[in-house]
Amino acid sequence: MKGEVVPAADPSLDYSIVAQGLMKSFGKLKVLNDLSVRIPRGTTYCLLGPNGSGKTTFIRAVAGLLRLDGGDLSVLGEPVHSVNRIYPRIGYMTQHKALYPDLTLRENMEFYAGLYGIDGRERDERISELLEMVDLADHIDRITGALSGGMYQRLSLACTLIHDPDLLLLDEPTVGVDPILREAFWRFFDGLVERRVTILITTHLMDEAERCKTVGYMRAGRMLAEGSPEELKRLAGLRPILRLWVKDPQASASSLEARGFEVEVVGGVLHVRIEDHGRLKEILERIEPSDLRLVEPSLADAFLRLSEEGLR
Amino acid sequence: MMGPTINSKRVLVVARRVVRQLKRDRRTIGLITFAPVFLMILFGYALSGEMSGINLGVVDLGGQDALRVHLQAVDDFDLLHLGSESDAERLIVEGRLHGAVVIRGEVVRVLLDGSSPQITASVMTEVKNGLLPRKGLQNGEGRGAGGELGAVKGGWLGGDGSVGRVSGPGSLGSDGDVGTSSGPGEYSDVMAVPEIVQRYVRGYDLEMMDSVGPAVLGLVVFFFTFITAAISFLRERTQGSLEKFMVSPLSRPEMVAGYLLGFSLFALLQSATTLLVVVLAFGVPMEGNPLTAFGVIILLGAGGLVLGVFLSNFAKTEFQVVQFIPIVILPQVVLSGVWWPIESIPAFLQPISYALPLTYSSDALRAVMLRGAGVSEILVPDLLFLVGFFVIAFGAATLMLKREVG
Repeated sequence: MKGEVVPAADPSLDYSIVAQGLMKSFGKLKVLNDLSVRIPRGTTYCLLGPNGSGKTTFIRAVAGLLRLDGGDLSVLGEPVHSVNRIYPRIGYMTQHKALYPDLTLRENMEFYAGLYGIDGRERDERISELLEMVDLADHIDRITGALSGGMYQRLSLACTLIHDPDLLLLDEPTVGVDPILREAFWRFFDGLVERRVTILITTHLMDEAERCKTVGYMRAGRMLAEGSPEELKRLAGLRPILRLWVKDPQASASSLEARGFEVEVVGGVLHVRIEDHGRLKEILERIEPSDLRLVEPSLADAFLRLSEEGLR
Repeated sequence: MMGPTINSKRVLVVARRVVRQLKRDRRTIGLITFAPVFLMILFGYALSGEMSGINLGVVDLGGQDALRVHLQAVDDFDLLHLGSESDAERLIVEGRLHGAVVIRGEVVRVLLDGSSPQITASVMTEVKNGLLPRKGLQNGEGRGAGGELGAVKGGWLGGDGSVGRVSGPGSLGSDGDVGTSSGPGEYSDVMAVPEIVQRYVRGYDLEMMDSVGPAVLGLVVFFFTFITAAISFLRERTQGSLEKFMVSPLSRPEMVAGYLLGFSLFALLQSATTLLVVVLAFGVPMEGNPLTAFGVIILLGAGGLVLGVFLSNFAKTEFQVVQFIPIVILPQVVLSGVWWPIESIPAFLQPISYALPLTYSSDALRAVMLRGAGVSEILVPDLLFLVGFFVIAFGAATLMLKREVG
């Protein structure tokens, strides 16, 4: 299966995942509602969205674990109904604690290696290499159930990578992983992407989403917006905010609003939206703040803004 | 979806993992190996047919010395000597006595509380034995405790036909003193029992455990393989490992086969220990080849295992798996001829009996262990049914493992 030659003329070659008009309902609830997305090969693609927006459902559909009600989906050039043919090329990390708590780290990894037909010295080398990468080499003979949450996630990632997959489906992979190690994960992911591996990831962590090449923002089973993190921020209409500490916030707010500024008073602090940096001086001339700070918008702000718009 | 081919390497990978997990789970190993042994020992003693601790009142108004001596010699009875029949009746009504024997010269009256057929039978038998000439106790050729059990069986017979009126031995002429029975079941007059000679054509008299033991053996192994497989497969599903390895080259038949192989090691251990207890500790005969009996148990255990895997698809929690016990296990306990012959089950229920694997394993195990049957004698229908049951359950378990779970 591995390294299977796909005809070069196939346009889906450049895409790891091509989804068109996906539909899926659980009872009356539409979990995927005309979802379309194209994920190029060799990229990091982050699915972002509130709980219940359909992120995990989409990942499970890609993994062939879901019977779709409608739409077309192909994975690594294979139609989803026969996606099991390319299972040797997919690494799937679920949100569940799918590893066996009563086995050691080594035994868990040996089990998954065995499923992919990796054995002997190749297996042992691969296991030590991956455990080294996730910084668990010293714990190889520990019982998995005794690991902390973060360690567990790291082992789970190592098991998912055991067969060197071309497509990684990672459902909230860094839950409980500390920031330093998360940084190491991302450096590793970047290395994989350089080798044309595609990584589809769901996360709630904005700083993590910001590291992806593309972020797809889902809501109610639809793709609301898609683009690079910067593009998403712009799409959400976010601008830098000038925070001003003043003696009389209400009076100052009224005075700025009179001149056409968008102002909000949050906890006694003025928040002025800056559409045009040229008008900064104008603001400072009218009021004299005891302190001030210019805050650039984050992806989290974009996320919140898009969620609010989606609610309306 | 996945082709029907089975990669034996992957099956071994799954089996090895199952063994590794079980090896570390001491409690489950204990449950798998020792719980059946414990159960068999329990059944063994409970079914050995000995009745003891019967509280029997004796109202002795003279006469029948042999009976008095005999009753005192019966270990099963705790005797209480009373002054009058009315005292005995009162104590029976109060539940303090199971029965009483009133001896007045040539008349012997037995009072019984009538709530337990076994106690009734036991009391009636011993009273008769005490009145009979010595030779009446000889029951042909008994094996071990057979003589004693033969007496109990005689009691069952006597219990059925004990209503009537005849005087004690050697006193046929004294008709004026013959007691009259005053109420069915409550009072019985003791009659002279004609001499009955029993002969066991196989040369032994089976105790309850002998006939039930082989069948219970199957029941115990089936129950434990079923429940452990169902729960551990359910755990695969709930903890998400099933979903994870669904997205791998492992096919569904490989998955189930791996499970079967891994568990079968423990099923072997379980079957062997249970079989040993039944044969060595309780002296249940092993007339046939032990390996044949062993094979039947393994085949049944494999069927229970795949049935467990199959049914785990219909449970969401371990609590729900436990709810399968009344549905899957109890009908087999009641209907498959473990305790009483299928012929005694109402005709409309018998078709169910013949659809249960335990019916066939019980039949096969009894044939091998008690009659020394070989493989060819139990092939049809027993072994064929068990193989068929296994194949169907395996197929169903495999098909139910849907990849598309949503």
